Amino acid sequence: MKLFAYYDTGHEFSEEIIMAAGFTPYKILGDVHVSNDPADRYVHHYICPFSRSCLTEGMARSKDWVGIAFCHGCDTTNNQYDIWKYHVKTDFLYWINTPAKNDLAANTFHEKELRRFITHLENHFSVEITQDKLSHAIQTSNRVKHLMRELAALRSVKDIPNSAYHALTRKCVQMNKEELVELLEDKLKEWKNLPVFPADREPVLLTGSDITYGEVMEILETAGLRAVRDDLSLGERYFAQDISQEGDPVKALVDYHTRIPQPPTKIPFDARLSYLESCLKETPVSGIVYQILKFCEPHGLDLPFMTGELKRLGHTLIVIEREYTPTVDQQLVSRLESFREIIQRSL
Amino acid sequence: MLTVGIDIGSITTKIALMDKTKLIYTDVAFSGYDMARAWQDIFKTMLLKTGTKEMDISCIVSTGYGRGSVGIAHKKITEISCHAAGAAYFYPDVKAVIDIGGQDSKCITLNGSGTVSDFVMNDKCAAGTGRFLDVMARALHVELGDFGAMDHKSKKPVIISSMCTVFAESEVISMIARGESRENIIAGIHESIASRMVSMMNRIGVSKPLVMTGGVSRNKGMRTAIEKKIGLKLLVPNEAQVCGAIGAAILGGA
Repeated sequence: MKLFAYYDTGHEFSEEIIMAAGFTPYKILGDVHVSNDPADRYVHHYICPFSRSCLTEGMARSKDWVGIAFCHGCDTTNNQYDIWKYHVKTDFLYWINTPAKNDLAANTFHEKELRRFITHLENHFSVEITQDKLSHAIQTSNRVKHLMRELAALRSVKDIPNSAYHALTRKCVQMNKEELVELLEDKLKEWKNLPVFPADREPVLLTGSDITYGEVMEILETAGLRAVRDDLSLGERYFAQDISQEGDPVKALVDYHTRIPQPPTKIPFDARLSYLESCLKETPVSGIVYQILKFCEPHGLDLPFMTGELKRLGHTLIVIEREYTPTVDQQLVSRLESFREIIQRSL
Repeated sequence: MLTVGIDIGSITTKIALMDKTKLIYTDVAFSGYDMARAWQDIFKTMLLKTGTKEMDISCIVSTGYGRGSVGIAHKKITEISCHAAGAAYFYPDVKAVIDIGGQDSKCITLNGSGTVSDFVMNDKCAAGTGRFLDVMARALHVELGDFGAMDHKSKKPVIISSMCTVFAESEVISMIARGESRENIIAGIHESIASRMVSMMNRIGVSKPLVMTGGVSRNKGMRTAIEKKIGLKLLVPNEAQVCGAIGAAILGGA
């Protein structure tokens, strides 16, 4: 099945529309192991390095994709659309203005945007995106979400390395969904038989910038921390909620996006805090790791409020800033180990 | 009971030998490229000078960025916990510790019993660290040890606006070119680092007694700049530079 790529710095994109069009949705995640030099010709180096990595991937791989769609995630995504238009060779490039607000007017607008996107896809690719096809795609998506919820819940009871969980979250947004369901079903059987949660690991909630490569998860592991909850787009934000299988599927997709854990690009930010609080009530953790990628503006702006409130609520929390690099940064490991020492002395 | 703390930082390696709560010996040497060599040399020197036998040491604790390289260490503890324990050794009621190290600066709060309750460190950037001072000393052709005295002679500190060490160096070179006195530039550098430290302290919320540890604490100009900005008196033990190693030795006996 042909790949349709999307550039989405959160979980804004409705993959089900692409599935209904007969393509496999492929989330562009960049490649931290590849130099950003190609993108740096068109985007200044103080702009989010992940977004530059995505542009690098877009320029190198666009011919593997039948088309590319953007969503309104962070402002970097929006303003890169024009750059992509000039420098990424593709026959179909489309920008969906997913709203930052969550109210009736915003949702009505979102629905119109999705219907407009469907029409453009139908016209360009000569396909028909029917309600039945959308409903089937939603059903498949829900199966993925259900399996991922079961797998993610095992993190706090079984010995599941951070990087193993992270690898699955990447597959969720890049693999053919039918094959993905089979893979997740196998993983579920495998993970259920793993040893219990190891005594030498501290369970933490992981929040902040989206983590797109496994090495970051390995840094946590090196420091003896195990992420058992998160609110990341490559993570719980992707599968925390089901999409309604009742009524008009486009309306169901809009409704779905009003219920998922909110990223920092949405307003008001209290919704994100509430979700984190609910995670912390559901799953006992020893602390919170709040990591932000250098030059990640939405998280930089959310950080003072979020960390202030989480600390006020009595949670032990560390903030770390990371570079966009696969190198295991000993400075970060050291800070996380210090955090672990604080946790262990307070227990 | 003899315990040893070895603190391998990015610039210097420190060692402390303690007999229960009594400080017996301290030493400082450059870390250089070979961290393993650095701790081995300073450890052998300590054994020689104090007449201690390795078998008499009940616990060796390594700390600092090179802590993983100390093969003989019984425990490896991060410098955050060690600086806190070291500061609490000299000032048992300490509530906060600041340390400006070679590649990072930190602000630690303590819960009253010498254990860490929270900490904050500089962003991933050399600005506001000991390395920043090194770079500036080179640009000004001044020995780092003279910074404190020269700051004292400053009449009007300059304002360093650049947030980045590399750009700040360019800014300093521009100031030299336009004839600004080195004393005023040095005082400006201290104020720039103090601003960063104080903004970290504000993020975490510090209260007195406030202790400064690490080698930079020997720089009077730096201390004064921080005290002015935070409005609190800094307590600085004579052994401030080896506080991390002392803390490690203390935690080794805990």
